[in-house]
Amino acid sequence: MERREFIQSMFAVSAVAVVSTPSMVMAEEAKKEAKGSAKKGPNDMSFDEAVKVITGGKEVKDSDKITLKAPEIAENGAVVPIKVTVDYPMTEKEYVKEIHILNTANGNARCADVMLTPANEVGYFSTRVKLSKTQDVVALVGLSDGTFIKASASIKVTIGGCG
Amino acid sequence: MADARKSMIKIKPKKYKVGDTVKVDFIVIHPMDTGMKKDKKTGKIKPAHYIDSITFSFDGKPFTTMKIWESVSTNPYFSVNYKVTGKGKITVDYTDNQGEKNSKSKKVKPKD
Repeated sequence: MERREFIQSMFAVSAVAVVSTPSMVMAEEAKKEAKGSAKKGPNDMSFDEAVKVITGGKEVKDSDKITLKAPEIAENGAVVPIKVTVDYPMTEKEYVKEIHILNTANGNARCADVMLTPANEVGYFSTRVKLSKTQDVVALVGLSDGTFIKASASIKVTIGGCG
Repeated sequence: MADARKSMIKIKPKKYKVGDTVKVDFIVIHPMDTGMKKDKKTGKIKPAHYIDSITFSFDGKPFTTMKIWESVSTNPYFSVNYKVTGKGKITVDYTDNQGEKNSKSKKVKPKD
């Protein structure tokens, strides 16, 4: 009798376990989603979306004309200095039109969009950004002929700087 | 709200001539809240408050415009280059997402 009860209870437990595991996973996912939505910023955008919005679906080539200076290891993610210099002539006919600073893992992938004119003389922009975790920072540069080039740097972040 | 925020324009190097390319640095004291951080005192989430647009202009002619998002650090710093064409005034106008408008200007005095 004891043994039978024992076996029955075993079955019951395992059945509960089988039933519960997927639902528990679902619940956890729901929790995560809820947490995610609670943490969502006002204008969240993924990296791919941001690139699409900026370039309008045009091809983006990697280029060594862009010098992206950023620290390899950022101890404080709240203040990461970024420096972009584009080796490209700045004349009335051809010039660096825009410099976009993007990140790959923050809630909002866009950091800054800078529209330059020939009066700037050098395609240069520098700022400080917040990074939530270890990720890449991408400088997307639009030239006056309508083409886009980019350069990226991966930054190790010790302490996240968002939220 | 003209001088509600502390801001600063720096021209580097300090001495320059007409035709030189100088760095124009702009620093402003601003919280740049992302809308995700909690206020430690009240425990409530702080609403997003960040600068969203900046215009650099020389004598009223804009030469650089920026669109800024919340991923830029607190008390942001922006630096661009500019070719000095003569005497005048560099003005930086900036607006944040709560509609606060400010501007700061600095005289350009090239030495010959």
